[in-house]
Amino acid sequence: MDSELYSFALKNTLNEILNVCPDITSAFMFKRDGEIIVGDEKTPEKTVMRVADLFDGILEKADAIGGFKCAVINGSMGRVNVSCMGEFYLVTVTPAKADMNYVNTLTNVLIPTVLKLLDKIHPAPTKIAPPPFEVETETPKVEEPEEAIEEPIQEITMEEKKEAVEPEAVLPEPPVSQLIVENLGGLLVPSDTVRIDNAVLTQWNELYNEREIGEVEIETFDGKSTRCKVKPIKDAKYEGKGIIQMPEKVQLTLEIKKGELVRVKPVIE
Amino acid sequence: MTKKKKAVLEETETITKPAAVETVSVEDLRSSLEEIKTYDGVIGYILRNSASAAIDLKDPTKIIDYAILSSSALDAGEELSELFDLGEFKDIVVEGKNIKVLSLTDNENRVSIFLEKDADLEKVLSKLRLS
Repeated sequence: MDSELYSFALKNTLNEILNVCPDITSAFMFKRDGEIIVGDEKTPEKTVMRVADLFDGILEKADAIGGFKCAVINGSMGRVNVSCMGEFYLVTVTPAKADMNYVNTLTNVLIPTVLKLLDKIHPAPTKIAPPPFEVETETPKVEEPEEAIEEPIQEITMEEKKEAVEPEAVLPEPPVSQLIVENLGGLLVPSDTVRIDNAVLTQWNELYNEREIGEVEIETFDGKSTRCKVKPIKDAKYEGKGIIQMPEKVQLTLEIKKGELVRVKPVIE
Repeated sequence: MTKKKKAVLEETETITKPAAVETVSVEDLRSSLEEIKTYDGVIGYILRNSASAAIDLKDPTKIIDYAILSSSALDAGEELSELFDLGEFKDIVVEGKNIKVLSLTDNENRVSIFLEKDADLEKVLSKLRLS
């Protein structure tokens, strides 16, 4: 789940806790890396950052005591509680006379419950994964018989057509790579084929569910574009350098030359 | 000021410092810690001041980790007390999944006591307050 959703839910929970428990003078949550997840309006961001920084030293060495669970700092007029809640650290500041049983019951029960609920509702990973291709996998099944049997198109009903077309709509937007032009010459070099990193081709291949990428669209920064066949770079010295090897004819078409930058994206049809 | 006078003055200052009181205090503290060490679940302690350090831990392989942790905890405790206007810093308890650490300052002495997670922290605190 993304941290924005966590923040929203936790902010509300924290506000409710602060409403029912005015003893808490300050409350906020941070992550080990210092990221502030949520905080009350009274506590300045600088203070939260400082707390996260101070605790970093403790957390670093907490392995020696089996990993950090919680900490209490007692002063003559108040106390600070820091509790580990999964990947988050909750900090509450209370006056010395505060009813700690009440405060702890609220914070140590409510917030973990909310966190668990959030995880149950949205068990999705934090990073947004590329869209799935469930529908797309069915595409060849629809298309293959068409080619093999060569039945007239008229026999396909409109609904069937829709089914065949719809999968294209879920394909992700072609990723654009910026590559540097390098000359590609030789007697047996086809004039309509460019060469790019195999790693880039593999990435595209994976992104489009193993669909083979045979063509790319190349666009210059002047707005000129062309479509070419694509193959992986053969020469190892150009691999992993963000290079596109381009025959002279293509360079002439695009009005560019070696060393210039172009945008390249796969052609998905 | 002549060198002789300066030397006498320094000597007087040394004498007027509550050195005896402090020594007693450190000694008292150390004897309290020795007693605390016999309590159930107490793993050991670290006592430090500007002049000396005493470390008594059951597992000597963890001395460095414990020393760093105790130092970080005390620094954090003191700074957080200031940051949140908690008044005079009393102590900090860092609880791990297996062990908990009680760290406090007494004058210039910095004390950390390491206990098993189920050990009686209040008993230790009472003993230290009485010392």
